[in-house]
Amino acid sequence: MSRFAPIKLPTHTASIVDDPYEHGFSDPTDKYAFISKPGLSARLVKEISSHKNEPAWMLNYRLDALSRFEAMSMPMWGGDLSHIDFSSIHYYLKPTLGESKKWEDVPEYIKRTFERLGTPQAERELLAGVKNQFDSEVVQGSLKDVWSKQGVIFLSMDEGLKQYPDLVKQYFGTVIPFGDNKFSALNTAVWSGGSFVYVPKGVEVTMPLQAYFRINAEKAGQFERTLIIADEGSKVSYAEGCTSPTYSTSSLHSAVVEIIVKKGARVQYTTVQNWYKHVYNLVTKRAYVEEEGNMVWTDFNMGSLLTMKFPSFILAGKGASGETLSMALAGAGQHQDTGSKAIHLAPHTTSTIVSKSISKGGGRTTYRGMVNIGPNAHGSKNKVVCDALILDPDSRSDTYPTERVFTNDVSLEHEATVSKIGEDQLFYLMSRGLSEEEASKMIVRGFAEPLIKKLPLEFAVEMNRLIDLEMEGSVG
Amino acid sequence: MKTIDVSNKSGVVEIILDKEGMEVVVVGTFEVFDKDVRKLHVKIIHKVPHTRATTTLKGVAWDAGQLKLSGTIVIEHEASQTSSFLTEKILLLSPKAHAEAIPNLEIHTDDVKCSHAATVSKIPEEHVFYLMSRGIPHNQVEKLIVEGFLKM
Repeated sequence: MSRFAPIKLPTHTASIVDDPYEHGFSDPTDKYAFISKPGLSARLVKEISSHKNEPAWMLNYRLDALSRFEAMSMPMWGGDLSHIDFSSIHYYLKPTLGESKKWEDVPEYIKRTFERLGTPQAERELLAGVKNQFDSEVVQGSLKDVWSKQGVIFLSMDEGLKQYPDLVKQYFGTVIPFGDNKFSALNTAVWSGGSFVYVPKGVEVTMPLQAYFRINAEKAGQFERTLIIADEGSKVSYAEGCTSPTYSTSSLHSAVVEIIVKKGARVQYTTVQNWYKHVYNLVTKRAYVEEEGNMVWTDFNMGSLLTMKFPSFILAGKGASGETLSMALAGAGQHQDTGSKAIHLAPHTTSTIVSKSISKGGGRTTYRGMVNIGPNAHGSKNKVVCDALILDPDSRSDTYPTERVFTNDVSLEHEATVSKIGEDQLFYLMSRGLSEEEASKMIVRGFAEPLIKKLPLEFAVEMNRLIDLEMEGSVG
Repeated sequence: MKTIDVSNKSGVVEIILDKEGMEVVVVGTFEVFDKDVRKLHVKIIHKVPHTRATTTLKGVAWDAGQLKLSGTIVIEHEASQTSSFLTEKILLLSPKAHAEAIPNLEIHTDDVKCSHAATVSKIPEEHVFYLMSRGIPHNQVEKLIVEGFLKM
């Protein structure tokens, strides 16, 4: 499966700027079913809601979230958010009238784009289900019969709300309420698309579910909303990828992902974020983990102008565990402000956070994390490891961990290192006949390997390729 | 080489390395009792090349004491060939004791060696058992271990 590899087609729309980014082409938007006027207002929120024929409670919830968004001030920490112009963004872009079950029913140009992005039908045999989102709406999705027969639900969030309103109402906004932060409020007000997943008790979905998010229009905002519920003893793995065209104006992507891991369940959520370098990626992701449950975030950030994303877990049941594997690569002009939060509320909970970052060409990586071990979480363990590699003198790396402990029977460890590629390492490899570039690539690959090993094989191959591509020409 | 002792200090301590070849060792031990709250932020700023700093902070929180230790290493763009290390270790002696460890790094250039480490834990039971099995009463065991822990 090479879902992030471009398929070389002879007809190639020229990229607007000279850039090695491979997914920079765009499709015209004149065939879209609906495009909202730029700007955010209560009218727009009502418009979105009526397009979706939503129940009244959802519209009210959206409107409450909008007024909260307007009342909240912009975060003063993290990356530079001052250039986001909320009034110039199209908040809702509907490319087609509805979601297609079959690949054949998808409009030709969208189909072509997904094929170029490397997600053609032929490669999907190993997946349990897929969702492909184009701007605001999921345009195509499917789930293999063997899983739907066992009661697994994999729908777009909009369909989920239509078909399972009670289930959605019960959990929507419980892990991340709209008042959590300014961008979760924005997402709740104008959300569209995303996935709704329910895995029944004891069902182990052995093949991954996959979602692919594509921003296509200029000045588009994508606000997908994902809710995953893994019932007792179930297992599921979900993977998402994201790309966008090379526009010179900026786009905004602000998702909310809520995950409920019930007793003894296990969820792995993998993200390969490869937005173009003009996208603001401001995402809130959080899992609520019950007794003996296990949550794993594998989070890879290569693209975007600024990413602020801190996948978290609330370990609320005895023996619950969480793991975050985070990798960030920041090139010229980019700022990857990533990390993870572990909130330990129950006894004997464990968490591990491993973060690796590479900055080059003046890019900036930041690890920002929080570990909170509450008064009832005796016997809990946490370990945080952050390693940063800086490839040139103009790049920057920061580490901002916060660790709070409210009881004594715990073990908490944190370590971080920052370094450049060692000259002795380079010398060793070059004396064995490798060029400087080959040697640097090899060292970077070795640096990233402990994380890449944890990925499913197809992703691992792809990540190595992406890292190589990013490293191209960064030496000398 | 200069040694700076920040033991039992509160507030913000800023240490600036602005002479080439400057080397500092920063040490600090802290103990809080009852409902004491102690908050210290040590900032190590490397402004010029070839500077070196080693910072070690160790703290013990008894009773309902609260200990908040932050350390920030800043390496400015011009300060290449610098090394800076920060260690924070906190022992919690009662279930009501609180600790906060914030070891920050801000690195603006590449030719550096920089690391930090932080741990928060209680006294391992094996250590207590070992000393008690040699006839030392429980109330002295804790004192002995804390004494050893705080020794630089």
